[in-house]
Amino acid sequence: MAKDRRQEEDYLTPLRRLLASVVILALFGLFLVWRIDSPRVERFRAQVVDQVVPSFDWAMAPVNGMLNILRDFQSYTRIHQQNQELRRELQQMKAWKEAALQLEQENARLLDLNKVRLDPRLTHVTGVVMADSGSPFRQSVLLNVGARDGIVDGWATMDGIGLVGRISGVGEKTARVLLLTDTSSRLPVIIQPSGQRALIEGDNSAAPPVDFLEAPELVRPGDRVVSSGDGGVFPAGLLVGRIAQDPGGRLRVRLAADFERLEYLRVLRHLGSEEIRDPGSLIEPELDGEAKSGVGLSNAGPGDG
Amino acid sequence: MVEHAATSPARIWTMRLVYVGISLGILLLELLPLQTQPRGFAGPDMILLLTFTFALRRPEYVPPAVVAIAMVLADLLLQRPPGLMAGLTVVVTEMLRARSEGLRTLPFTVEWLTAAAGIVAVMIGYRVVLAIFLIPQAPMLLALSQLFSTAIAYPLMVLGSVALFGIRRVAPGEVDTLGHRI
Repeated sequence: MAKDRRQEEDYLTPLRRLLASVVILALFGLFLVWRIDSPRVERFRAQVVDQVVPSFDWAMAPVNGMLNILRDFQSYTRIHQQNQELRRELQQMKAWKEAALQLEQENARLLDLNKVRLDPRLTHVTGVVMADSGSPFRQSVLLNVGARDGIVDGWATMDGIGLVGRISGVGEKTARVLLLTDTSSRLPVIIQPSGQRALIEGDNSAAPPVDFLEAPELVRPGDRVVSSGDGGVFPAGLLVGRIAQDPGGRLRVRLAADFERLEYLRVLRHLGSEEIRDPGSLIEPELDGEAKSGVGLSNAGPGDG
Repeated sequence: MVEHAATSPARIWTMRLVYVGISLGILLLELLPLQTQPRGFAGPDMILLLTFTFALRRPEYVPPAVVAIAMVLADLLLQRPPGLMAGLTVVVTEMLRARSEGLRTLPFTVEWLTAAAGIVAVMIGYRVVLAIFLIPQAPMLLALSQLFSTAIAYPLMVLGSVALFGIRRVAPGEVDTLGHRI
């Protein structure tokens, strides 16, 4: 019996092997094509994601809801403790609110005095987080807004408070946000109040480290970090977080945005910062028409008068 | 009769669809935006495990083309370089398939070790190829934790597939619908 089987397999096995090698070659070929012409394959990936993930939505919504209910239920067990914490925080918040109100009034007064114009073009599109990267190695989320909503690669994304990441990959209905915590994320920032410029480099940890800092001694834990707008990709002045120091003495940024729960994100429309290209031209006195037509120096003979 | 039913073409095609279906389900669960904070520990790669379990126990349910479809989809959705992990998985699946016949009479530990060797091969191969092509890689510690958790989770996947889909090892002397030994 076993012999029969062997003989029968004699013509089946090579065929199967051939098929397997074709499949394997095709897969490695795809990888090579991706390596050579990455933008095209990434566009294809965005299209696939655009098709597949929204069609998962009907299944994702209930599962997500159930898990969130479960999570909320777990927090019931600590309700008393939470209540007290909230009360204490509320007390602090009241004090802050008072301070904020006063500052807001003062700020409005000062802006009015100085006739400052805030950039009116910084509007936003809000999207809902549909999916995360799905792998522990990449930090990104998928929003339900895409090219049809006018989203463009590179735009900054915030939650209500701080910067979250930038758009990297846009499909028709979806857009991927590369989070600041991803290993390939780099963000030019200014550290206030010292005004030091630096780079925040994502490293797959919750608090990305600060790099390329000129004078680290001027920076102290607790300093505010805002985007600097260098490179023209991001608008300047978006809050990123605060400086913190890890036990190894390395400066890191504690991000202001709540990365624990990213639900609704704002994509800031950024139409590029205007550049001043040429140096100012020669300033000359205003001439009347007659003088202008006769301004050719050769004509300006003595008989002119 | 039960054995006959287990190897009929209808059953084989159903199980192939089930394989793709479970892979999609795993992807769906992984894509749920429940955890957007970076993690210090990576859980097992469930699709890889599923593929190896099927390849070692019922190789006819996972032909290369079906594995390729599931893995390429995973590559595209999980932001991996498309084709690389898929290609490595198909290669190792073929190697495991060749071994699966010899493993039938051996104890489970040997099967587990074989699967673990396959997992190690795929993950190290993946990192080596990424290094050769100068592609940025995930932190070493995270990759190692995924390697170990995947290898350790193999028995759980086997238990699950036995309980849910009846994927048990081919018993010695079992025959298919045409009366051939498998």
